[in-house]
Amino acid sequence: MALRSRGGWWPALCIGITASILAVYILLVTSNWIYLGWHDTLYFFSKSRMWERFWLTVWTATVSTSFSLFIGIPAGYALSRFRFPCRYLFASIIDLPIVVSPAVVGAFLFGITTRFPFDWISEYYGIYIGRNVYGVLLVQFTVTAAFCARLMKASFDMIPVRFEAVSHSLGASPLRTFFKVVLPMAKNGIIASMIVVWARAAAEWEGLMLFVGATEGKTDIMPFAIYLDWNGGMMGWVTSMSIVCILMAVSAISAMKLIGGRSNVW
Amino acid sequence: MSGKRRNRTIINAFFYSFAGFLFLYSAYLFLSNLDQLFVTEAAIKTREITDIWGEDREILNQFAGGFWKDPYFWKSLNLTLVITLITTLIATILGIPTAYALSRYRIPGKSVVEILFSSLMVMPGSVVGICLIVMFNYGPLWKLQNLLGFKFAHSIFPGMVIASLVLSFAFGMSAWKATFDSINPRFEQVARSLGSSRWRAFRTITFPLAKSGIVAGIILAWTRAMAEFSAVLFFCGTFRELPASRFSDLTKFLQMDQADWVSVAVWAQVEFGNIEYGFALAFVLVLLGGISVYVMHRIGAKGYVW
Amino acid sequence: MKNFFKSSKGKEFMMKLINNLVVFLFISSFFLVTHTYGGEKRLLFHAGLGQRMALNEIKAVFEKRNPDIKVNFSYKGSGYFIADITRSKQGDLFMPGEEFYLMQAGERGFLTDYDPKTDIPAYFVTVIITPKGNPKNIKRIEDFARPGIKVGLGNPRSCAIGIWHQKTFRKAGIWDKVKENATLSAKCIPELGNATQHRAIDATIVWATTAVLYLRDVEIIPIEHKYRGIIRLPVGVLKFARYREESQKLMDFILSEEGRAIFHKHAYAINPVIPVDKQAFCLDGTTDKDMEYLVNAAKAVKDESFPVTKETIGDLAGQVLRQKKTKRAGD
Repeated sequence: MALRSRGGWWPALCIGITASILAVYILLVTSNWIYLGWHDTLYFFSKSRMWERFWLTVWTATVSTSFSLFIGIPAGYALSRFRFPCRYLFASIIDLPIVVSPAVVGAFLFGITTRFPFDWISEYYGIYIGRNVYGVLLVQFTVTAAFCARLMKASFDMIPVRFEAVSHSLGASPLRTFFKVVLPMAKNGIIASMIVVWARAAAEWEGLMLFVGATEGKTDIMPFAIYLDWNGGMMGWVTSMSIVCILMAVSAISAMKLIGGRSNVW
Repeated sequence: MSGKRRNRTIINAFFYSFAGFLFLYSAYLFLSNLDQLFVTEAAIKTREITDIWGEDREILNQFAGGFWKDPYFWKSLNLTLVITLITTLIATILGIPTAYALSRYRIPGKSVVEILFSSLMVMPGSVVGICLIVMFNYGPLWKLQNLLGFKFAHSIFPGMVIASLVLSFAFGMSAWKATFDSINPRFEQVARSLGSSRWRAFRTITFPLAKSGIVAGIILAWTRAMAEFSAVLFFCGTFRELPASRFSDLTKFLQMDQADWVSVAVWAQVEFGNIEYGFALAFVLVLLGGISVYVMHRIGAKGYVW
Repeated sequence: MKNFFKSSKGKEFMMKLINNLVVFLFISSFFLVTHTYGGEKRLLFHAGLGQRMALNEIKAVFEKRNPDIKVNFSYKGSGYFIADITRSKQGDLFMPGEEFYLMQAGERGFLTDYDPKTDIPAYFVTVIITPKGNPKNIKRIEDFARPGIKVGLGNPRSCAIGIWHQKTFRKAGIWDKVKENATLSAKCIPELGNATQHRAIDATIVWATTAVLYLRDVEIIPIEHKYRGIIRLPVGVLKFARYREESQKLMDFILSEEGRAIFHKHAYAINPVIPVDKQAFCLDGTTDKDMEYLVNAAKAVKDESFPVTKETIGDLAGQVLRQKKTKRAGD
């Protein structure tokens, strides 16, 4: 019917392109299952090593997300509400770690850890920053903190300033306004952003490759373990772990869509 | 009253301090590595004992290994820019109709499609790379490649474009879809009721309204393509050491032979021990990324992503 | 579903969820803070990615013997270590994929007494690998020069195998022709193995210990003595070691008969004396037996009826059984 009406080739073209692209993407995401086969999938998913790595990924991502949120929520609020000179430049520099490819960030982290606060910490506590799980957390924090601030800014941007003005005029202190008016209103956006930040932290590996070496069971969070096992020729582990990563990403995004938050990066 | 104002100043300073922390951290992260650009005595010594590497590791300049004198640097930059431009072009041509269809027409399982595209953005790069390798080297696409007589993996032209297109398309498409979502479909319906065809209604009504969003999406897609690393690393690898005869005439004409994707080149150079050279490339990437973000902020474009 | 979250009940549920989340985050942060190291000593071991499986096995045995010593590995590509160690000045032991990288570290004064005569736990041996079924019928080194063969070459800048490709093909006098055939320039050896497994290249030369990871998907062809390279795998204690005695203990364990036996399980050659010429090419058939085991192991993984015994596959039984378990390798 669409074809018969005038200019009907346009919706037909749109839907045709959509269908073919969808087919390619679905093939892309499911190719691992097809390659691995049912028997091997069961075998690898029943291994404890898989779940140890899974929990390592989950808890490191959770901890680094909580640090990112701690910094990101107030920073996002500041970026969203305050006007000051050169704020575009300021915001651009904050954004740098998310636009530059994470491998470069990993290389740069290598430099920062031999300098003032970090060398002091590593000397005092006698730990090698960047060789253990702290390095993983540092990489994840670096990549997600700016990302979190950006998402939070978007969430706060969606709340009209008027509500705060009303709250102020009724005599509430700024802090009370922030906690009682702004945060509850931005709640959905914050939770949605939190889930996205978590998924982003769990997906970080390029920085680990350059900055943190691999220690079995200590720093090999799942995306990084994929790279390591790829270099060990273990395609079974590689594909089964990428299935888990895909499932993690998909379930995080579904949870976010369910909560109904919406965010924008810029 | 003044007490209240001071109170507000303190609270504002509290919020500023977090943003300031992020700013300082980010600035420190990038500035603290500037000293990496200078060739140290130890690096020179290492090069002296590695005679098997020959002239390739010659230090052209004390600053940053003299990267601007090296054709490899310019070829790599050229390669990355050309491939990302091609990628952005393909993403735009395919992405706008897709975004339009997903935004306007009733498609079964639309929420599943949205989740699929959104989840690609938080998927680890290594997973995308593995998926590409497995998809193209096994099953129907492998047979297709055998029929065509050339392989997609480990190649510049189809390979790199495919690797950077996967995520760049997903980002751009989401941005364009959000733009089309924000435009009232009624305008188009009115135009059609007045006798305009579907294509004309899109071209004359929706497209001009969506222009700024489309531009933002293009910048977003390009930035994402520039930031691509793992998919290229897994799917394409490096090309610098290959003989000139392996490259097609087109590649040579475009000055893209024996060159690498810039972010892969950063990693490769740091891994080879050419630290100052690698960091010089990294700073070039940082500059490019910074400029594109600054432009995004300046024009006030909103790249809706989720 | 969305209406649920807008209803008052939903809001209550959400607030509870948030509270629980906050509590969870706090607890996990607390866990991080209290997650400090006890009295045990942690060695930092810089090792090449290729040695990962063997060293993990060694670590398991060593930690069981010495419960107060823990070994932390930092697996990276060999070339990156020099950059890493130079900057960070950290680490206890160092085991790169080639002696050459260790010499670089020695040149910069990072090594304590390294003795090239005794500090070699194992040797790499070069073999040819091709995709399953050997579609281009590669049998000898000379076949690499045939036009139209897709050859994978290592990058001599970042991995030791690249240097060996050059050496081997130069010795055979076909380097220029092979170079024209190159379709892949690898940054590390596993990349060559993966490309062969995924049929991206027709043939390449890798270490036996890399080839043994891909038994199901590649064909292994031993190289004749004239071109078979024997590469020394060194280990050394770094100057900035925090636990020198413990590091020495681990190094002694690696160099002991027991440590070497573990390396042999992963297709390293451990013969105490392998006669080699000046360029480190093999002179006689000392490693022939190992090569035979390797070829038999590949047969045993592909063919169910092939006998898996000490006589046919030597110490490679662990690898064979591991890869027989599943269609795609793993453990």
